Amino acid sequence: MTITEATPPHHSTSPFPKVREKMGRRFAYGFLILSIAPILVGYSWLVIATFSIRTEGLLPRNAEGGIGGFTLSNWAFITDDAVWNAMLNSFLIAVTMVIGVGVASTAGGYALSRMKFAGRKVFLTGTLVLHAFKAEMLLIAIFFVLRWLGGIPLIGGFIGFNSVGGVALVMIALELPLGIWLMKGFFDNLPWDMERAALIDGASRFRVWWQIMLPQVRPGLAALSLFTFISGWNAYLVPFTFTVGTRVANMPVFLSQLISDTAPTNWNLVAAVGMFQMIPLIIFFIFTQELLLNIYAGGSKGT
Amino acid sequence: MRVELDNLSKAWDGVVGADRITLEVADGEMVAFLGPSGCGKTTTLLMVAGIYRPTGGTISFDGRVVNEVAPKDRGIGMVFQSYALYPHMTVFGNISYPLRLKRLEKGEIRKRVEQVADMMGIGDLLDRRIAQLSGGQQQRVSLGRALVKEPQLLLFDEPLSNLDARLRLAMRGEIKRLQNDLGITSIYVTHDQVEAMTMADKIAVMSKGVLQAYDIPEALYDRPKTLFVAGFVGNPPMNFFDVEVMLLGGEFHAKNESLDLIVPDDRAAKAAAKEGRVVMGVRPEDVDVADDSSPRVEGLTLSAKVEVVEPLGREDLLGVVVGGVNVRLLVDKTKRAKPGDLVDLVFNMDNVQFFDPETEESLLWA
Amino acid sequence: MTQPLEKEAQAGAAAGTSGVPRRTLLRRVRSTATAYGFLVPTMALVLTFFVIPGILLLILSFTNLASVNFGDPWNFIGFANFERLFTDRFFPKILRNTVFYVFTTLILFNLGLALVLAIVTTNIPRRAGFFFRLVWLLPRLTPSVVYILMWRRIGQAEPYGIYNQLFPEFLGASGGNLFLGGSPWTFVILTNGFVGASFGMIIFTSALLSIPEDLLTAAKVDGASAWRIIRDIKLPLIKWPLLFIATYQTLSLLTSFEYILLLTEGGPGLFTTEVWALTAYKRAFATYAGNSQWAFGATWAIVLVTVALFFAVIYVKLFKFDELVEEPRIDNL
Repeated sequence: MTITEATPPHHSTSPFPKVREKMGRRFAYGFLILSIAPILVGYSWLVIATFSIRTEGLLPRNAEGGIGGFTLSNWAFITDDAVWNAMLNSFLIAVTMVIGVGVASTAGGYALSRMKFAGRKVFLTGTLVLHAFKAEMLLIAIFFVLRWLGGIPLIGGFIGFNSVGGVALVMIALELPLGIWLMKGFFDNLPWDMERAALIDGASRFRVWWQIMLPQVRPGLAALSLFTFISGWNAYLVPFTFTVGTRVANMPVFLSQLISDTAPTNWNLVAAVGMFQMIPLIIFFIFTQELLLNIYAGGSKGT
Repeated sequence: MRVELDNLSKAWDGVVGADRITLEVADGEMVAFLGPSGCGKTTTLLMVAGIYRPTGGTISFDGRVVNEVAPKDRGIGMVFQSYALYPHMTVFGNISYPLRLKRLEKGEIRKRVEQVADMMGIGDLLDRRIAQLSGGQQQRVSLGRALVKEPQLLLFDEPLSNLDARLRLAMRGEIKRLQNDLGITSIYVTHDQVEAMTMADKIAVMSKGVLQAYDIPEALYDRPKTLFVAGFVGNPPMNFFDVEVMLLGGEFHAKNESLDLIVPDDRAAKAAAKEGRVVMGVRPEDVDVADDSSPRVEGLTLSAKVEVVEPLGREDLLGVVVGGVNVRLLVDKTKRAKPGDLVDLVFNMDNVQFFDPETEESLLWA
Repeated sequence: MTQPLEKEAQAGAAAGTSGVPRRTLLRRVRSTATAYGFLVPTMALVLTFFVIPGILLLILSFTNLASVNFGDPWNFIGFANFERLFTDRFFPKILRNTVFYVFTTLILFNLGLALVLAIVTTNIPRRAGFFFRLVWLLPRLTPSVVYILMWRRIGQAEPYGIYNQLFPEFLGASGGNLFLGGSPWTFVILTNGFVGASFGMIIFTSALLSIPEDLLTAAKVDGASAWRIIRDIKLPLIKWPLLFIATYQTLSLLTSFEYILLLTEGGPGLFTTEVWALTAYKRAFATYAGNSQWAFGATWAIVLVTVALFFAVIYVKLFKFDELVEEPRIDNL
């Protein structure tokens, strides 16, 4: 990450502008660095621990108790099938969510933004209420719905309780109100004349959506997809609640099992697995900064 | 194609967009809908296009009611103010889109697109992206897209408003020529009266959703049927005075506290038939500053003080005050009027207009 | 003229004379049906995972369903679950915990720190402000399990804990485990607050940046100090975003328990950091003595759902809803 110094700040009204400004700036940076320090410390530990035999505080310790003990042995799990299975599950959940949320949100958002139909107001209110409402409270009841879905012949095994598909489906539903709201906003900003022109040119409403409007909201869809992928990749509570054992565990669940199942916990192994899990996130963090800040402004769930 | 609007209305939750519009566009004619923004002209156009559903009245094409016909089945082409081009397609993609939707054969599509593009002078731009085009070129593409499906009715929604002044002038002539050559019935929405006057065979003047007048351009200018039309058509606008018209010593006089002008008999007789005060309208070009070339005439002259002088190049636009009313007049710049000058105004009353102050309708051309 | 036009025209003309035209009605039904076509995936998901579970939750709260009697038909027991809930020995404590947790986190972090961060990062050079906001996004971006892992490591007992190592005998450092010993609430609020602050920070930042520069220039010309500008101009202008974040985040905090579950599981000891939402979850899913009390968990949850719906309604009102339901400008023919 590079920071190029740019525009000067607002003019100061103080009689000694330069001095006061400099002081204020120093104070601001000091405050910002201090406030975020726990997170920076946390990340530092994660990186240090990943490559150490053991750590005390932020200090890596070697076998003799001195500083040192660099090792790559924590990464031996790379050859473990269980990790890759969890990775695959994480990936499947995230990708299914991107597709599911993408399809449902672009279609639903378009209808809510652009079409007249009986009940539109009810749908709009409902979406907004659900957007604020936290579905975590319904997990108990969703448990029974998933068990029932699992009983459906043929497809039940893919979408029921203790299946990757079931977890993905629940996660799609959780992200959907936000997705629809976001996409509706993007469609709201498109010019009406373009759509009118397409209708006059002979396109049906479906075709207008698919061929004319969707290409215009691609940036929005990309942002939503990124957001959905991250929440799918990081999903813990839903897969933890609705899966049992290691077969269907995704990365966060696998990691939590690793923490609680092995006693005493091998913290350095845990750190390495956590680090491993964060690789795609780090990539996003470096390459899509602007997008990240924008989508989280679009109305994040979570606290 | 002949287009008839019969009591056509559109309202949203009690807000009226168009109120009982009735008019007919003859085959091959170009009609302008003229009015200030929010007057209902675009609303009416979009009903003709099939984008808005009328809440009352009917739209007929060649005698057939098309109220419930989808836009794609109406045989229309439309050009928008914003051009409404598809930014993710090339010029060829845009123009060919209506034909591709009709599933025409590929060779046929290319042939027709190239033909239209050549006609519009954009034949060499077919592979360009929309963002690479200038405003004028975009409008040509938009026109090409409307024409390529050989519509029987062309709709224009302020197509020149986004262009700069010079380009606007050039495109104006071009659209008119094209419409003439192809003989396609056209409806042209604009707020620019010069555009309407120069391009249209007939003009429908609208205000607040109501059709104020529908006539040929000359008639709107010379024989305005309502106060609104008189004030809206013509730039600078007509001057209005509250007067009483009465017969004094064998001549008709238009009188109030600050003016007394003799009015020709034929016009005055109709105004005098109305009890009490009426609104008199005089165009800026019918008032002149008296000097050697335009001498004072008894009964047609008033004195007034010049308040403002706006040089327009060829002429000066003077603002004077007559009895508390601002009056604008166009005079030759050789008169060299200056603010503060006391001048004599000479009125030409041959084109004077009279309106009923209550109904705002013309007393001459009812 | 194309053929469809002819057919439509006749139908339209015929219809024009008779009251409600049948053809028109058919068209309207069809255009509504098109819209519902677009909404099919949404409706299916909302029905399956919001509506049905909502109703199910309510029904469950009147039964005694638990994993021990799972095979049996559902047994309705009236308001017994609610009675049990409100007379629970730990009910007052859980309620107190919840209120304390929600409002402390909200005021200190989700509103307070968020606002300070927004103001500070918009008063330093643009790139630097952007950088710090981005770093503040990290907690939200980090998988919860890893995020809590870091905090646990920070609060760990000697010799592993980072805080204990850096600040021995300072601000509650006791050498022991901090989140399960010394100050569990501090850690619960810190973990949630560090994630929560970034949302408000981003929203407030965009609100602050959208204040017209002219206004601030005018204030400076009038001789207002930086502090006066913040107090007299900026804060009043971001009143609505502040209210929005306040309601939205109150609801978020009220119903979220993931970080607490991972950090303390409501402990240490009996219900020390247990909040309402976590109780509901644990009753239903954590198997105490091999029994998941689904119905009793549902009872805790349904109370929360009711409160949440109340907040959601306020939230909708705050959203200037009328602007959002503006009529589409195409009538589907």
